Amino acid sequence: MNCQKFQEVLPYIIESGGNKEEEEHLRTCPACAGLVEDLRYIATQAKLLLPMHDPNPRVWTGIEQALRHQGLIQEGRMSLMGHTLVPAQTKSWTPVGWIMAAAALMAFSALLITYRPQLPPAPASAQNMNAQSATLPADDQQLVSQVSERAPDVRSAYEDSLREVNVYISDAEQAVAKDPEDAAARERLVDAYQQKEMLYEMATARSLP
Amino acid sequence: MNQHALTGIGAVSILALGTVQALAADTRKEVRLEIAPGGMVNVVNNTGAVSIHGGTGRQVVAIYTTHSSKIEVDQTATPDKGRIELRTHALGDQHPTSDEARVDFDITVPAGSSVTVSTATAPITVEGLSGDVTLSSDTGQITVRNVAKAHVHVRGVTAPVNLTDIVNGHVEVTSSGGAVQMVNVSGSKVSVGTANGNITYRGDCSGGGSYEFTTHSGAIDVTLPEYASVDLSARSVSGSVQNDFPLQAKPHSPFVPKSGSSFAGTSNSGLSSVELQSFSGKIRVKKQ
Amino acid sequence: MQRPHKGKLTQAKKIIASGLTEAEAIERAKGGDAESFEALYGLHKRRVYSLCLRMTSNTAEAEDLTQEAFLQLYRKIGTFRGESAFSTWLHRLSVNVVLMHLRKKGLPEISLDEALEPQHEDGPRKDIGARDNVLAGSIDRVNLERAIESLPPGYRIIFVLHDIEGYEHNEIAEMMGCSIGNSKSQLHKARMKLRDLLKLSRAEKAARR
Repeated sequence: MNCQKFQEVLPYIIESGGNKEEEEHLRTCPACAGLVEDLRYIATQAKLLLPMHDPNPRVWTGIEQALRHQGLIQEGRMSLMGHTLVPAQTKSWTPVGWIMAAAALMAFSALLITYRPQLPPAPASAQNMNAQSATLPADDQQLVSQVSERAPDVRSAYEDSLREVNVYISDAEQAVAKDPEDAAARERLVDAYQQKEMLYEMATARSLP
Repeated sequence: MNQHALTGIGAVSILALGTVQALAADTRKEVRLEIAPGGMVNVVNNTGAVSIHGGTGRQVVAIYTTHSSKIEVDQTATPDKGRIELRTHALGDQHPTSDEARVDFDITVPAGSSVTVSTATAPITVEGLSGDVTLSSDTGQITVRNVAKAHVHVRGVTAPVNLTDIVNGHVEVTSSGGAVQMVNVSGSKVSVGTANGNITYRGDCSGGGSYEFTTHSGAIDVTLPEYASVDLSARSVSGSVQNDFPLQAKPHSPFVPKSGSSFAGTSNSGLSSVELQSFSGKIRVKKQ
Repeated sequence: MQRPHKGKLTQAKKIIASGLTEAEAIERAKGGDAESFEALYGLHKRRVYSLCLRMTSNTAEAEDLTQEAFLQLYRKIGTFRGESAFSTWLHRLSVNVVLMHLRKKGLPEISLDEALEPQHEDGPRKDIGARDNVLAGSIDRVNLERAIESLPPGYRIIFVLHDIEGYEHNEIAEMMGCSIGNSKSQLHKARMKLRDLLKLSRAEKAARR
């Protein structure tokens, strides 16, 4: 075995070790031995590289803003999951603040009851759906159970996708109900059902032995 | 023989057996199977990777590596050699873990063969074919490159889908949550539907075909060259639409554009039909 | 709830002044508790950000990706079942976020196509013939980090995932959609390139003395 042949197989044997011929070459060739020593040393040193960079504080600010924008957290209010949030560490509400917030909430509720503006339908994203409805319909749950028995690795993929597709169907049904003559809405409803059909077909195939 | 010696021998034996087992677990095999011209190759493999490329000759050359003795790969062929199947399955009452069930395939098929692959988490890569391609994966990334004049059907749950250089094709992609990316994909029909997976297209929508990209809440991003000849419409029910591509308004069209939520128009001679639809996702069309 | 004795908790685990453990914070975050989620961010931000920075070599991108990773964490934390360590699960999620971003950018992935690999003149040279001076004992971590930063993206991704973050080739192959052999080959080339860069750096230093 010469150096060229040894170095061609080196990527595949450097961690697991080579056959007799390859190990023999490594023992007897100073150039290749030096190369392997260097590469292993680089790998060893890399493992010692610690995570040493902290992100700029604006990263957390961006995360907070994004979560608020998506309606997933609202300071001082119930979360979509129905739990009362612990107030953020950096801010604390005084009793006056709570009274004012409660008054604002009551005023806003009164406004909604007396005046209903034409608001566009709220976008129903998978995130909102996840938060709003933690359980799937019984059929979907049964399907997920069957999938997870045989292929547990893909369980969450099916759960998430079924939730999203159910929202899709719901939105499409509402659109058709609103205007039965809307051909695009009917097409979307067909698409939504086809998505669900695909998930069932694939899950069923996964569930079979 | 005293207790210590017996313990030592036992330990060494266990170590030796473990080593033999570990070495025996990784098994690489190469099989060659004759296939009829235009025949079909079917691969079923839940975990690992499946890579298929077009080659010459009349054989399917499959190189695969198993990583435990709890699974095996069955190879079957019809008598007329029109259909070849490679299927991974657990042996007997074995219940392999994901790692143990993993098989990595590297398969060369005659370029005109049709290919069908089904995986759970294994990524699939197919390239260099002119036969039909039908791929299905729950979460494994699906990549198709350099396929001409063929039907390409892809289904995924959350599997990301990448299609590149698919020309004169008939393409249908249904993906629930996986992002679908297309570069230089064209043909008589290119249809992509997702629930919340993003859809990205970069190409010229050439061929006078029908291009339909539909999503519920994913984003649709289309980038076209100035010379693209398209009759394009885009609408989003509650998401926004943005057009940065020069379009001429269509006279006598029943489509009524609505600022911010729909637009339509033609470019050059409007040969290919491009329809972009979303419920709540953003749609954007840009010039290359 | 019985609070664990403060003295028994390491600083890393005692993430809120009230003495909640990481496990407790995870459960609360699943229920929508924003403060607990912020605490998890504090505990894991450095590792996630360092990973993003090493894989992209770009501070702005790394900040965006860190933000996206934690947003995804917020959406998906309900699916965390405890089958693996939380840090492992979060780490995998972060890697997927970075890889998805790199794919969207159109960066060349691991490919069987030679034309997509880093150009020949950028690739490492084969080492055949006389033994060179070995690197062992001469690398400092600053130089190593700089050298990693200057690797071509395809090499850098694999090197970071395998040698720094500790993913196995089968995991990398699954994430990148390539074969295990390809992953090993790219890692080898990354190490060879680093060897060239580090030797060059050492020679430059020696020349300046």
